[in-house]
Amino acid sequence: MAEMTLLQAINAALFEQMRKDKTVVVFGEDAGFEGGVFRVTKGLQAEFGEDRVFDTPISEAGIIGSAIGMAVNGLKPVAEMQFEGFMFNGFNQIAVHMGRMRNRSRGKYSVPMVLRMPWGGGIRALEHHSEAVESFIAHIPGIKIVIPSTPYDAKGLMAAAIQDPDPVVFFEPKKIYRAFKQEVPETEYIVPIGKAKIVQPGDQITVVAWGSMVRDVQSAIKILEKDSISVELIDLRTIVPMDTETIVNSVKKTGRLLVVHEAVRTVGFASEITTRVIENAFLNLEAPPARLTGFDITVPLPRGEHHQMPDPKRIAHEIKKLVNYKV
Amino acid sequence: MYEFKFADIGEGIHEGTILKWLVKVGDKVQDGKPLVVVETDKVNADLPSPVAGTISKLGFKEGDNVHVGDVLVYIAEEGDKIEAKAAPVAMAVSEGKEDNPAGVVGTIEVSDEVISASTEMGETAASTSNQKALASPVARKMAADFGLDITKIKGSGDNGRVMKEDIIKANERKQPVVSVAVPTPKVTLPSFAADTVTRIKISKLRKTIVQAMTTSQSIVAPTTLMDEFDVTSLVAMREAQKESAKAAGIKLTYLSYIAKAITLALRDYPLLNSSFDHDNDEIIFKNYINLGIAVDTPDGLIVPNIKDADAKSILELAQEIDKLATQARERTIKLETLQNGTFTITNYGAIGTKFGTPVIKYPEVAIIGIGSIYKKPIVNEQGAIVVADILPVSLTIDHRIIDGADGGRFLLKLKQHLSNPAGMLLHLK
Amino acid sequence: MIISNYDPLKKEQFQVLDSEGKVVNPKYEPKIDDKTLLHMYKTMALARVADIKALQYQRQGRMLTYAPVQGQEAAQIGPMAALEPQDWLAPAFREFAAMLYKGVTLEQLYLYWYGNEIGSKFADDVNVLPVNIPIGSQINHASGLAYASKILGKNQVVVTYIGDGGTSHGEFYEGMNFASVFNSPMIAIIQNNQYAISTPRRKATKAATLAQKAVAFGIPGIQVDGNDVLAMYAVVKEAAERARKGEGPTLIEAYTYRIGPHTTSDDPTIYRNDDEVEQWRLKDPIKRFKAYLINKKLWSDEQDAKLNEELEAYVTETFKRVENSDNPSIDDVFDYTFVNNPADLMEQKELYKKYLKTTFLSSLKETSKANVALKEDK
Repeated sequence: MAEMTLLQAINAALFEQMRKDKTVVVFGEDAGFEGGVFRVTKGLQAEFGEDRVFDTPISEAGIIGSAIGMAVNGLKPVAEMQFEGFMFNGFNQIAVHMGRMRNRSRGKYSVPMVLRMPWGGGIRALEHHSEAVESFIAHIPGIKIVIPSTPYDAKGLMAAAIQDPDPVVFFEPKKIYRAFKQEVPETEYIVPIGKAKIVQPGDQITVVAWGSMVRDVQSAIKILEKDSISVELIDLRTIVPMDTETIVNSVKKTGRLLVVHEAVRTVGFASEITTRVIENAFLNLEAPPARLTGFDITVPLPRGEHHQMPDPKRIAHEIKKLVNYKV
Repeated sequence: MYEFKFADIGEGIHEGTILKWLVKVGDKVQDGKPLVVVETDKVNADLPSPVAGTISKLGFKEGDNVHVGDVLVYIAEEGDKIEAKAAPVAMAVSEGKEDNPAGVVGTIEVSDEVISASTEMGETAASTSNQKALASPVARKMAADFGLDITKIKGSGDNGRVMKEDIIKANERKQPVVSVAVPTPKVTLPSFAADTVTRIKISKLRKTIVQAMTTSQSIVAPTTLMDEFDVTSLVAMREAQKESAKAAGIKLTYLSYIAKAITLALRDYPLLNSSFDHDNDEIIFKNYINLGIAVDTPDGLIVPNIKDADAKSILELAQEIDKLATQARERTIKLETLQNGTFTITNYGAIGTKFGTPVIKYPEVAIIGIGSIYKKPIVNEQGAIVVADILPVSLTIDHRIIDGADGGRFLLKLKQHLSNPAGMLLHLK
Repeated sequence: MIISNYDPLKKEQFQVLDSEGKVVNPKYEPKIDDKTLLHMYKTMALARVADIKALQYQRQGRMLTYAPVQGQEAAQIGPMAALEPQDWLAPAFREFAAMLYKGVTLEQLYLYWYGNEIGSKFADDVNVLPVNIPIGSQINHASGLAYASKILGKNQVVVTYIGDGGTSHGEFYEGMNFASVFNSPMIAIIQNNQYAISTPRRKATKAATLAQKAVAFGIPGIQVDGNDVLAMYAVVKEAAERARKGEGPTLIEAYTYRIGPHTTSDDPTIYRNDDEVEQWRLKDPIKRFKAYLINKKLWSDEQDAKLNEELEAYVTETFKRVENSDNPSIDDVFDYTFVNNPADLMEQKELYKKYLKTTFLSSLKETSKANVALKEDK
């Protein structure tokens, strides 16, 4: 056991999986020698060499496209996008090939790759470095998406992603890269992809969140302790394939749903979650399913960014509203 | 005030040890002058000053451990106030000079905070203690509108789902039956030639009376007992008392005395103050006497009642009666006044009628008709013929539960009170 | 060494056989055994017949959109013949002949163009990527395949194709650059058939040749007569050696011509004149190769006639088989999305199957002779 930050946990997972499986390769812009601008891949090149850990040209389509080719031909590439905003430069490869190669070849070729990138806002960055872009990819068949919120989950999910025979996009909430530590086993363990986690049980309302929002919801729950509001908090962890069952079972118990995400509202992933809840737990609802999200605006620059990301006070306010909803 | 923070000097170093300070508080420094030597895993680094100024405060001692982001030293810049200002909001960092643990843009929060270890919660079983209903939003709203607790309604749908019809049924059971379902006999009127007759629609009040009368006559088994009371003493008493009442602004009527006497009699014969529950075979004795006074209005007869008449004095009864009469005329009688009466007085004596067969006001079981007081020769106890004031009284009782003897006994008691009004004093509580 | 001797910047184009089939560059005539030569020829002939017939079928309403390769057989089969069995082909969408030579069956090719993905499920030992419609992206895939081969020591060379129009695309640059930086064992062949749909080559880029773009990537480039199967063979043979030695990619411009339309939905008479087409017919790759083989006493007109008869029959029979083949089952439509298909996707499939069952049974009475038979799933 060791205390690790989210970032260190991912780094540890990469070391672990690369030692175990010689076909795992890691690359991206500045990801080789320097270990990535956030140092997530730090130390890997020194141990595994330049063939397996390398810097690429500034070439997102090149990075993703060649990762696909590598995966088809026997490697397990863990390719990096330096920031989530940059993935749009390679979006053709993501949208049109990464999730399709297997279907196109009727199963002859699969793409066991991981595409990892720092994700989400809250670091007061320049434009284009603070986006929560999971919805863009969730709409593409054939691609899995995970977003860990704790160091423990990060290590386990990265191991799972690397071992998954399907392509996995691994979003790393950069806001909490180093914001806290957690006990993480140094031996291999898997956190299964496709399984949400009930962070704490409750029976008045189900709140679903992921990434850096999970912590904010926990803060909100603390604020509401004095009102004795019992909240069941679910960390989604995997966006695709979504763990519908866990969420639906929870709402059947509580009768109320609030989804919190920092991504833009329209067609944000909350719309998918609430629809599935309505489809499966219509008769159990005691209040309309609700969502607290970023607005339908461009993520503001640092001075205004705090408006866009739901904070604990707002979250607590929404929870209270729902719990007090009278039919 | 410039806060010189320990930066990630390369290769993701995030902590170090202060090896040696090269300056002290008060020293003037130039941009670039080495301030401190910091020992890290990789290198011993000389950290040069980023600004020109005067050393204001050293953040750490030699030998201290520092983390990236810690303020090593405070440097007062030219023209600076000595008090430290709040650090400016960390804006987008320029490339090359890493002020924070990497990232090239933005500021990553760095902290040693340790959160609790991960636990994988198993599926929390659906709590059965929490009784929740299965129902569509529409059904829930319906229940709420009816003021019903949906979790208490038995659902007839799949898995105990509460359907709309379940809610409607529950609602019907909750409300008392307002109108008695009286099977009004289908009587066909002969058709009157239109030009020989004039049709006038009846008022709502009249319609109500039609309903009430029909109801009463079809349910109750009425029988009327009649008697004449010698009220000569009562007449004299009223004569004596009416002036003082008038001085108090109260019109003292015979009805006031009669009402009081009735309440006294009803105390002794509560059966006439009851209701009858046919379905459950129960007589409902009431703990209160709400005396109804039939009042004639231009639109028709209404019967407001005086609540707890037995607790009121004759003067108070007189006031109430007067008030009711006025309100009835002005049509300001409240609904509540018309409801929940227990016994009714109909005073047709004012019009000159002596005897009648008044109709019981359902769900009461008795009604008394007071005729006009008139002078009549009678044979007194001594056997002489004298002129007396006579009050004709007609009592209709519901023979389902009140027999003639009971009615008679009530009348007798009443007669005793009204023939000897002074004697009422002995019974006053 | 061929490649270094033909500088595209000097407008030098490499050729071995002229339009008549005469060897005009004996120094670089490749040494190919007779069996292979004949196999090359027969495959070119098959590609020609199948290609013409595909166009015919489409005009008869029996085939969907198809991208003809007529006139480009040499540019495709020459390179394939120069490769080893373990080498890769990452095609764009006009490599019908190359795929045929590399081990994809005619039936598979026809199934694909007929609209069934099962046509892309090649045999295990056939290292060919499926047809790639999005322009340029195959270069990046090829770059990755090559990189993997390099560090896994698989000794594979990856040949990838792109059109003259495709070289304008960002992914071409990114892919070429990426592969070059890592010296990946990749060979990129530009089939410069002079047109990108209706856009003539000169409008795709201002560069005088496409091969010279290699300079920007720091690799050798060469322009070759794309209708000369021997020249194509020789150049790729050399490029493959380079690649296997770890010297990195080569960029080859096959200078050829698209005799047919861009696809079956294109009318080339709008943007080019017949004279030009006729000029290029005179340079036909199969014609000149046949002459070469006859000269070498390896072939005859009689054999040729017989071959074409056989090919006609074979192609006709293959297409008939394809025409009568099953549509993809519902399982096929869903199950290839993931290796491990998630529950919610499978649920969607089951609900859809249920729906189809009910509507199928109810419409059985109405449907007399449906063109598309709804097959019950196994």
